[in-house]
Amino acid sequence: MFTLRKHWYPYISPFDPCPPMRVKTYVTPPNLYVGFQPPGLPQFPPYEALHKGTLWPIWYDPYRGKDEGREADEQTSS
Amino acid sequence: MSKQVPERYYDMLHELQAIDFVLVELNLYLDTHPQDAQALEQFNTYAQHRQTLRNQFEQEFGPLMHFGHSYSAYPWQWMETPWPWQV
Repeated sequence: MFTLRKHWYPYISPFDPCPPMRVKTYVTPPNLYVGFQPPGLPQFPPYEALHKGTLWPIWYDPYRGKDEGREADEQTSS
Repeated sequence: MSKQVPERYYDMLHELQAIDFVLVELNLYLDTHPQDAQALEQFNTYAQHRQTLRNQFEQEFGPLMHFGHSYSAYPWQWMETPWPWQV
């Protein structure tokens, strides 16, 4: 299984004027990891699919906000 | 107070909207996966379900679409309220 959020750890210099950002996160879309969609993927029920905007959970990738996305992402895809 | 539509109106519209969305997704999926029999079967069952839903709705609340895509009871119902933006 793949994760959508990637982290990297910038170099922190002792002369940095501001408090350092130790970990930086960026989000990648699910279609990078799936390519041509295989048949028979699990689906959302109709109402949920309408609400979430996609029929297949694999493509569900909402903006969960700057910070709380991190743990939410760990749970779903790890 | 003008004619108010019952709660059922909104529930049926909501279900119709959900079924339509699933049909749109399956349609787009089938465009690139014509051989996927399971998805095609699901598409057809949902299309049939939508047909019955639409007929049910139109029996009760009048035409959903105009220009011949829906029947109308007597007298002509198309110009009756509520219009889509009033719903």
